[in-house]
Amino acid sequence: MTCALSPGKRKRVWARSPEERPGSPCSSAHCRAQLKRSREPRYRQYSSSDSGVADLFDTPSPSSDEASPETGAGARRAKEEEQLELSIFRDYGQAWYCFQKERESRFLSSDSLAHQPQVKEESRCKLISWMIPVHRHFCLSFESLCLAVNILDRFLACTPVAADCFQLLGVTALLIACKQVEVHPPRVKQLLALCCHAFSREQLCNLECIILLKLHFNLGAPTLNFFLEHFTHLRVQHSQACDRDFTEAIDAKAMARGVAELSLADYAFNTYPPSLLGICCLGLADRMLGHQKRMDMRVSGYSDSVIEDCMLKLQLLVSLNGTSLPRLLPLELSKKHVKTES
Amino acid sequence: MNRMKNFKRRFSLSVPRTETIEESLTEFTEQYNHLNNRRNEGTAQGHLQLNHLGRGYGAEPGMLSLSQGGSPTAVHYRNNNRRRFSMEDLSKRLSLPMDIRLPQEFMQKLQMESPELPKPLSRMSRRASLSDIGFGKLETYIKLDKLGEGTYATVFKGRSKLTENLVALKEIRLEHEEGAPCTAIREVSLLKNLKHANIVTLHDIIHTERSLTLVFEYLDSDLKQYLDNCGNLMSIHNIKIFMFQLLRGLAYCHRRKILHRDLKPQNLLINENGELKLADFGLARAKSVPTKTYSNEVVTLWYRPPDVLLGSTEYSTQIDMWGVGCILYEMATGRPMFPGSTVKEELHFIFRLLGTPTEETWSGITANEEFRAYHFPQYRAQPLINHAPRLDTEGLDLLISLLLYEAKRRISAEVGLRHPYFKPLGERVYSLPDNASIFSLKEVQLQKDPGYRSSIFHHTARGKNRRQSIF
Repeated sequence: MTCALSPGKRKRVWARSPEERPGSPCSSAHCRAQLKRSREPRYRQYSSSDSGVADLFDTPSPSSDEASPETGAGARRAKEEEQLELSIFRDYGQAWYCFQKERESRFLSSDSLAHQPQVKEESRCKLISWMIPVHRHFCLSFESLCLAVNILDRFLACTPVAADCFQLLGVTALLIACKQVEVHPPRVKQLLALCCHAFSREQLCNLECIILLKLHFNLGAPTLNFFLEHFTHLRVQHSQACDRDFTEAIDAKAMARGVAELSLADYAFNTYPPSLLGICCLGLADRMLGHQKRMDMRVSGYSDSVIEDCMLKLQLLVSLNGTSLPRLLPLELSKKHVKTES
Repeated sequence: MNRMKNFKRRFSLSVPRTETIEESLTEFTEQYNHLNNRRNEGTAQGHLQLNHLGRGYGAEPGMLSLSQGGSPTAVHYRNNNRRRFSMEDLSKRLSLPMDIRLPQEFMQKLQMESPELPKPLSRMSRRASLSDIGFGKLETYIKLDKLGEGTYATVFKGRSKLTENLVALKEIRLEHEEGAPCTAIREVSLLKNLKHANIVTLHDIIHTERSLTLVFEYLDSDLKQYLDNCGNLMSIHNIKIFMFQLLRGLAYCHRRKILHRDLKPQNLLINENGELKLADFGLARAKSVPTKTYSNEVVTLWYRPPDVLLGSTEYSTQIDMWGVGCILYEMATGRPMFPGSTVKEELHFIFRLLGTPTEETWSGITANEEFRAYHFPQYRAQPLINHAPRLDTEGLDLLISLLLYEAKRRISAEVGLRHPYFKPLGERVYSLPDNASIFSLKEVQLQKDPGYRSSIFHHTARGKNRRQSIF
């Protein structure tokens, strides 16, 4: 049972994430319809042929035709949206930053696995590596994913969890996160199906209540996503005149998001506050993409040595995951990435 | 999608139903390693198996990835896992008695103290552990009249036995198909962080078996009722004070990146001192406002900006500012500005008064397909002074800057507070601490509203019309 899928095809699928194409018609109704359509033939396909290669012909190629016009419109829309956000950023950016920065330490749970009898680093890594494609599958925002990981960690820090309900904890954390920020959170039914019905609706709802109570409804953690956005806005604001700088800033953000996703799954980065990780991911992204005008790291207020330490670790993480990272990036960027690598 | 397929296929087909993530993921790892052993096929890595630093740190980068295959750690992990759970053990854990709200197995696992020796918890210690968490008790509050009811929540007027103060008790049922309602989760998590004189205070959260009760401070009126009670003729000076309080509360929210998204006179509560407070944060932070609530009540379109009416889902603080403009107009004229009952009618009202948008007033509008599909006639903007003659020049200027078509050009709450319209309130209003009421300054006082009716009538009207909004 291999799963030989062309990486090119996979990448295109990833490129459809709503983050990279803000405002793209990726409404959840659309997503749900998509899920439904693809589910039926897949079962059939599976029973008839066991080789994953058949998968290539299974679903109609989702994006090869539409990719090019859509990216052009997407880029234009990204720029328009960026401008709207910038005008608001001028009024509130600093206040948002101060507010989130002041709260971030309260939501940090460094040794979240210290008292866990069963859940270990490896299982956390696997769970989150699973949650990443799940959140993309539902076209959820990166904000939701960050919140979900935060809820997961803070719950683990205060409650021992048996290994056999760890996956349930993962989807429940995701559900709670989505209920806060998404227009259409995924249905409980869909989440249960993703866990191959190992859990019941009652179990999920019970766990949801327990999490809400244990965390005292303190759910709005400052996220890595927020800081990536903030530092990118700062950068764009300073270099608005130049088109190249703007593109570089947007590219760096997309790349940094890929790196940030990797770091979410790794327990070693659990101790770093999201603002530090945010600035370091952006710094590293600039380096990886060979940008001429790089992010000014001083805006974060961290000392050079702290930043250097975190960036080194991130760099190591990236080199360990050389094959996974391109799959987390939008198509154009992963091409660029490959180019600069070689 | 393909990746998901792999995941889903594994989870839903290749894996026996009772297996959990631990096991299926172990299987993953195994297959993954197996795959890579058979020679790195490069593209064959179907899973997002992220390598992590804990293992690779200090070693040569790129050397210690899991694609090494059959690495001792992976094998060890698998063995480890096997030892811990027999299949029998697993199925026992998973067939929990469902009639119990918190299954005992769950509770055992939740006991931090004795992970080694899990004992069944008695009912009493279960309840004790809940109150240890610090949630209030329902016995503290006496329920008085019911104020309103919806699918998800019922609101009661109540009294606290501790303080003797009146409170509003919002009882939210948690048992739904989809678990706890989004509105409850949002409202609680947001309001816990908002402490401001112009935002309704959440005093307490009480959790019982099946419901969540939010205890709010009680305010006996709202702006809609206030307008009714003064015969829709408010004193010009009071409008200014209300507007300032509205912007002050909103600026506080916006500084925290929290949007209200459902501003309307019914959501602006007012107490007998004239303090105005924002309420009902259930929709806050949602990216789009639905046209119907979960209970199928129609959400009013009257205060909704044209960009949202035309389908924009952008997440920006400027969305609230349009509604502020509509509310200013309503206070000044005594009637709603754009009382449309459908999206088309609402847009029609807006364009008839403010002019059909052109590229000059709204760049990019001619490319908006929804807008083009409506084929609105070309209206010219009418002078607002003809419609709101009681507003002075500054008031009209503020109104115009709030009702700009392009969201990014609309004045923000923060800047709005500094508008010359508020100059008569003095300078000290800008240095008030967050939790201080504007009326703590002696220079700020309400005037008698010209249309205000006798107090006896006023009181009966209060009881009758009180409509506590639920969502």
